[in-house]
Amino acid sequence: MSRAFLVALIGVKRFIADRGDLAFGIALPIALFALMTGVFGGEASFNGTAHVADLDGGRAASELLERLERVDGVSVRRYAKPDLDDALDRSAILNGFVLPAGFTASLDAGIPAEVRILRRGNGGDAAQIITAILQGIAADLASESRIRNGVAALAPDAPPQRVDAAVQRLITDARANPPVRVETQSLSEDPDDGDDFFSRLLPGMIVMFLLFSITLGAQTIVEERRNGTLERLLSTRLRPWELFAGKFLEGVGRGMLQALVFLGLAFVVLRVGGPLAFVQSAALAAIVAASASALALIIAAVARTQDQASWIAVFITMFMTVFGGTFFPVGDSGALNILSRFTLNKYAIDAFDGVISGAATLADRWAEIAVVGGAAIAGLAAARLIFRVSSEGK
Amino acid sequence: MDDFLAADNLSKRFDGVQAVDSVSFAIRSQEIFGLLGPNGAGKTTTIRMLSTVLAPDGGDVEIGGYSVTRESDEVRKRIGVCPQELALYPELSASDNLVFFGRMAGLSGREAKSLAADTLERVGLADRAKDAVRKYSGGMKRRVNIAIALMSRPQLLFLDEPTVGIDPQSRNHIFDTVLALRGEGMTVLYTTHYMEEADRLCDRIGVMDNGRLIALGAPAELKAQVGDPATTTLEEVFLNFTGRSLRD
Ligand SMILES: Nc1ncnc2c1ncn2[C@@H]1O[C@H](COP(=O)(O)OP(=O)(O)OP(=O)(O)O)[C@@H](O)[C@H]1O
Ligand SMILES: [Mg+2]
Repeated sequence: MSRAFLVALIGVKRFIADRGDLAFGIALPIALFALMTGVFGGEASFNGTAHVADLDGGRAASELLERLERVDGVSVRRYAKPDLDDALDRSAILNGFVLPAGFTASLDAGIPAEVRILRRGNGGDAAQIITAILQGIAADLASESRIRNGVAALAPDAPPQRVDAAVQRLITDARANPPVRVETQSLSEDPDDGDDFFSRLLPGMIVMFLLFSITLGAQTIVEERRNGTLERLLSTRLRPWELFAGKFLEGVGRGMLQALVFLGLAFVVLRVGGPLAFVQSAALAAIVAASASALALIIAAVARTQDQASWIAVFITMFMTVFGGTFFPVGDSGALNILSRFTLNKYAIDAFDGVISGAATLADRWAEIAVVGGAAIAGLAAARLIFRVSSEGK
Repeated sequence: MDDFLAADNLSKRFDGVQAVDSVSFAIRSQEIFGLLGPNGAGKTTTIRMLSTVLAPDGGDVEIGGYSVTRESDEVRKRIGVCPQELALYPELSASDNLVFFGRMAGLSGREAKSLAADTLERVGLADRAKDAVRKYSGGMKRRVNIAIALMSRPQLLFLDEPTVGIDPQSRNHIFDTVLALRGEGMTVLYTTHYMEEADRLCDRIGVMDNGRLIALGAPAELKAQVGDPATTTLEEVFLNFTGRSLRD
């Protein structure tokens, strides 16, 4: 048996020694992973710029802009009024906020002050969000100013500094203990309510890459059959079943190398789950890798040339990836659902659901795991029957 | 002298082609036996059957007293095969290749490493041992291909056209290695299309054509069958037995 491991090891070593293989097998998935997390995953935080012309320049206007700038994801760019108009005209920007002259004076005097919002079209999502934020800040400023004026009116003899200090204390206190507290709770822990990225796309990608890299490994088996290394191995003490087992383990090993990099990134960068979730995900990846490796052995036995092997591998992987529900849900019934049942991906993705985030255990996913594991065993049995080391021989 | 290998009525047919047709011959211990023949004569097919990787349709072979068909495990412990093709891992170093095949031949990790170093020294590749074989010249790759076959410390070594496409220096180096190995007690089966090579190295020669063994003997004996042994070349012998028509 140890010879089978040595055969697997030399295969993985070849994979690592070949920079091209390594680039395609490891670097490309990482790049795609980065791209996907940028687009779909991670903290999807708001980012927008408020384009502002401050014609007032007074205390309240500055205070408003300062508070706006302190909001996460919002940046403020200041313009002279003609420049702002010009930029809007050219559609270089889609929103503009104008603080008219007298803004501070009106606010201080208790007269309604005004912020003018200029938009191209609807101004884009960013303009709408910034407008809402700005309205909130303006309302705060207005109430603060009203409180200040009210307090001053109640105690006309009090020195303005004391009024200011008292009002400031009240406001600070109100901020520290807001009468309405808004709490945000992340729901991606819940497996059934999880967002698409964690419940389908991420597992889907892991399964797709496992399938791709392992089934494409069928090429190297065809190559070895052609150049005679497989046959040469059989003239040593290595037994045919050890060679077969070695090639199977080689596929699993190559796939796991990739899966661990991918899972490692997901767990470190996206903090999708704890150590136990990582271990369970890795175990699941190993089961998927086993069935992919069995498939690769079948492809290698069927294909006559390396090109044939890679085309069969690409076709099968693409078919199962697309119809297995990687990119869109397959639904509970209908043709797509029926088609998906003939893919490894469907069961593998369902098995990963929740396991990656730690919300489900492998035991919860026993049915899907049984299907994937069963496919591995059936595939191995079939592959063993048709495995050959030369075009004519054992 | 004892026969180390005895082939008896060996036959193999590939769809429509009788690749090997009732071939019988013996190789004595410590002999260098040349197997000659035009392209497609059946030399490689014969070696594949002798080295247990291809089951004969008929006949059997005994190597070191063990049957190739019934006791192939025992046979494999005694043989080393250098195939006609470069059957090695080009991405890996010569050293990694040799150590791996040494492990496959049953050596421990330490034994394999030490034998690999000795063997690379022997084939003149010690200073390039850590380089990927892919970067080697054709002659160096051929020498790695032979070195791998030596990693099982074989009693019987099969060399299937080990000197194809290499320069006279590498070729001579290989000759010297083969002669030295025989000196150490190894028996060698050698195929080649270079007649002067066979003449220089081989104690006895078998000539195959169309799957049949059509001549067998020491080079001098074969020459005597054709003309004056002092002036006849092995090439003349070869053409005399196999004819001048093109093969394959
Ligand atoms: N795997 C195979 N399938 C079908 N035919 C084969 C196979 N291997 C060899 N043959 C045929 O068997 C015959 C003998 O081939 P073999 O390779 O043994 O010849 P050879 O003497 O080694 O030739 P060469 O000097 O060119 O290496 C040829 O006609 C060849 O086409
Ligand atoms: Mg040949």
